[in-house]
Amino acid sequence: MPVKNRFAEMQEEITAWRRDIHEHPEILFETHRTSALVAEKLKEFGCDEIVTGIGRTGVVGVIKGKADTSGKVIGLRADMDALPIHEQTGLDYASKTDGAMHACGHDGHTAMLLGAAKYLAETRNFDGTVVVIFQPAEEGGGGGREMCEDGMMDRWNIQEVYGMHNWPGRPVGSFAIRPGAFFAATDQFDITFEGRGGHAAKPQETIDTTVMSAQAVLALQTIASRNADPVEQIVVSVTSFETSSKAFNVIPQSVQIKGTVRTMSADMRDLAEKRIKEICAGVAATFGGTADVTYYRGYPVMVNHEEQTDFAAKVAEGISGSCEEAPLVMGGEDFAFMLEERPGAYILVGNGDTAAVHHPEYNFTDDAIPAGCSWWAEIVEQRMPAA
Amino acid sequence: MPVKNRFADLHADITAWRRDIHEHPEILYDTHRTSALVAEKLKAFGCDEVVTGIGRTGVVGVIRGRETGSGRAVGLRADMDALPMQEQTGLAHASKIPGAMHGCGHDGHTAMLLGAAQYLAETRNFDGTAVVIFQPAEEGGNGAEAMVKDGLMERFGIDEVYAIHNSPGLETGQFAIRSGALLASVDEFIIRLQGRGGHAAKPHETRDTTVMMCQLICALQTIVARNVDPVMQGVLSVTSAETSSKAFNVIPDRAEVKGTIRTHSREVRAQIPDRLRAVTDGIAQTFGCTAEVEFVNGVPVTINDAAATDHARAAAEAVSGSCGEVPLSMGGEDFSFMLDARPGAMIRLGNGDSRGLHHPEYDFNDDAIPAGCSWLVTMIEQRLPLN
Repeated sequence: MPVKNRFAEMQEEITAWRRDIHEHPEILFETHRTSALVAEKLKEFGCDEIVTGIGRTGVVGVIKGKADTSGKVIGLRADMDALPIHEQTGLDYASKTDGAMHACGHDGHTAMLLGAAKYLAETRNFDGTVVVIFQPAEEGGGGGREMCEDGMMDRWNIQEVYGMHNWPGRPVGSFAIRPGAFFAATDQFDITFEGRGGHAAKPQETIDTTVMSAQAVLALQTIASRNADPVEQIVVSVTSFETSSKAFNVIPQSVQIKGTVRTMSADMRDLAEKRIKEICAGVAATFGGTADVTYYRGYPVMVNHEEQTDFAAKVAEGISGSCEEAPLVMGGEDFAFMLEERPGAYILVGNGDTAAVHHPEYNFTDDAIPAGCSWWAEIVEQRMPAA
Repeated sequence: MPVKNRFADLHADITAWRRDIHEHPEILYDTHRTSALVAEKLKAFGCDEVVTGIGRTGVVGVIRGRETGSGRAVGLRADMDALPMQEQTGLAHASKIPGAMHGCGHDGHTAMLLGAAQYLAETRNFDGTAVVIFQPAEEGGNGAEAMVKDGLMERFGIDEVYAIHNSPGLETGQFAIRSGALLASVDEFIIRLQGRGGHAAKPHETRDTTVMMCQLICALQTIVARNVDPVMQGVLSVTSAETSSKAFNVIPDRAEVKGTIRTHSREVRAQIPDRLRAVTDGIAQTFGCTAEVEFVNGVPVTINDAAATDHARAAAEAVSGSCGEVPLSMGGEDFSFMLDARPGAMIRLGNGDSRGLHHPEYDFNDDAIPAGCSWLVTMIEQRLPLN
C-alpha cells in the first residue's frame, strides 16, 4: 500500500492550490481569503456540511462515509496562517504581500488536507464521519484553542484528531512520529526590576537596577542546571534586556527583561514559573529593589496519545515503507490544545533538503503532497473501515 | 581688604551682561554670539591682545600690568557654554532659546571674568601679564582640552591658572576650596558584545549574549570592590544595557553596555580601564564570544596644586574674611585639562540657597558677582605684585 494513485493524478491540481495560497499569505486570524477559498473548495467537493467562523476564521467541513454504523468521527486538522516574514525565495509564486510569507508550510498543510477532502468526498470509502478542520492563527495566536473553545469537538462529536507538519531535513515524503510529549510548552515572561535611579557618580544613593537584573539573569540559569530533574527537558532563555535609561551618567530606575520557557511536562512548566518568580523576588530583595514578574502561559506541551500514535505510525509505514522515531521538538504547536481535548496524534512528513521553517528562503516541497494526502486518507479508511 | 569698591560700581553693568548671556544660551562649541560678545568687550576694555578661535570658539584676552619685569603670566579661566535643557525659571531674563539653558552658571562665570578684565585693564596694578581665558564646551565637549591643544599655555606664556565655579548651597559670596583632588575623572565606556544569535528554544546552537552581558556586569563590580586600593576613590557604574533584539523568542547576537568611571587619582584612573578591558576579554573568552571596548569623553581628575590652593585661599580670605573646605565630589570638570598643563586651582563661590546645578529652575546669583570679581583680580594682584 504505497501512495494512493488518485493523489498522483491530483498532484498537479493540489500543487496549484498550494501555490495560490502561497502567493496570498495571511497572518494570524486574518485568513479571510484562505478561509473563503477553503470553504468554496469544500462545497465544490460536495462536503455534507461546511461551517465557517469557528475560532473566528476557522473552517470545518463534514464528510459522511458510505456507511455510518460505527458512529465514529475523526478530525483531521490543517493550519492556514502565514508568518510576518519578508519572503526571499525569488519564486514565481512568491508572496505578493509585503512582510507576509508562508514560511512554515501551512500552505502545504492546507492544500494537502483539501486534496484529502476531495478524495474522501469522492470515494466515501469508510464507515463513520470525517471532520476536516482548517484553523487560523497557529503561529502564536492560539487559533486551535479558539476553535476548541467554540465547542468544535462536542458540536461534531469528534472522537480522535490527527495533525501533520512538514519537516525540513527529512527525506521528502518520509514520516516520523513519537508517542507522549512531542512539542514543548511555550511560555513567555516579562519582568520589570525596579530600583532607585540616580547619578552614576553617586551609587550610594541609588539601588542599582542594572546590577540587580544582571544577577537575576545569572540566577535564572540555575532553574535548568539545579532545579529541574536532569532527565527532564527545560529551556529558560532570557532574550531581551533593556535599561530604562540609555545615558552614560544615569543609573536607571528600572530594567525590563523578557524571555521564553520551553518545557516537556506540566511539572517542569509549573516549576519554571514558580522558580522564576521566587528567584526574581529573592534577587530583588537582596538589593533592596522589587521585581514584577508576568508569566504568560502559551501553548501547552503537545502530547501524542499512545494508541493513536501507534496507529498513525503504522499508516505511515504502509505509505512510505517506514516511520522513524522523531526527536523531541523544543518549538511549540497549537495543535496541543486539540490533543488536550481528544486523543490523537501529530506526525512529521519530510520536506527534503530545504531551508528551515521560518527562514525567508523556506518553501514547502510539493513532491510531499501525495504522501501527505495518502496518510490523511488512509487514517480515515483504516480507522473507520467500510464493511 | 573686603570686596573691591570698583565692583560695587560695576555690579549693575556686570549683572546686565550676565543676564544678556543668560537670555542667549549656546551649547558646546556653538558659543558664537557669546564669544563675539566677550571679544568685543575685551577690545572695548583696552586689552593689549584679543585672540579668538583658540579651541574653536574660545577667546583669550591679554592684559599687561603696569610693570612686566616679573616675566610671569597668570591665567584666569571662565566657561561660556550652556546646557541642552529647557529652562523653567520663569525669570524675565530666562532663555530665549528652547532646549538651551545656562543651568550651570557659566553665564555668571563669564560675566565675572569680563568684570575682572575691565578692572585689570583700567588699573593694571600688577607686574606681569594677566591672561583671561574664555572656553567653550565645558559640558561634555572638552573645550579646555581643545584650547590647551591649540597651544594656549605656551603661546601666552601662562605659568599658573585659576578658575571659579559657583556653588549652590554655599553662602552667597563665600568661598571654599580643597587641595589635591577636587573633582573626579570621568571616562565613559561602551562595550559591544558579539555572540551568536538564534532561537530561544535552541540555546545549544547559540552563544548567549544576554547571559554573557550579565556575567560581565556582575564581574565589573569586582573592579572597585577588589582591585582598587580601598583608601582610594573609584566608581564604575554600568548605566545602560541593551540586547540587539527585544523579542521573547530570539537569543540576540549582540548586546551593548555603557557606563561611566569616576576616580580621584591619576593612578586609579589608569588602573580601572585596564581592568575593565581584562575582565571584558576574560568574560567574552569564557563564553566563546568577542567584545570590543571603546572609551569616549575622557576628562582627567581635577587636581588643585597645593601651593596654588594656598594662594587661592589667601585671596578668598582677603575678599570674604574666610574660606571653607570643600568635600570631594564625584562630578567632573574639564578645567582639569588646564590643571594638568599648569599648576593652579579652582575655587567654589557660594551661590546661596539656589536650586542645584543642572536643575531647570537654577539661576546664577548676581549678588555673588562683587566677591567673585574681587577674588579674580586679587589673584592677579597677589600673584603678580608690584614692587
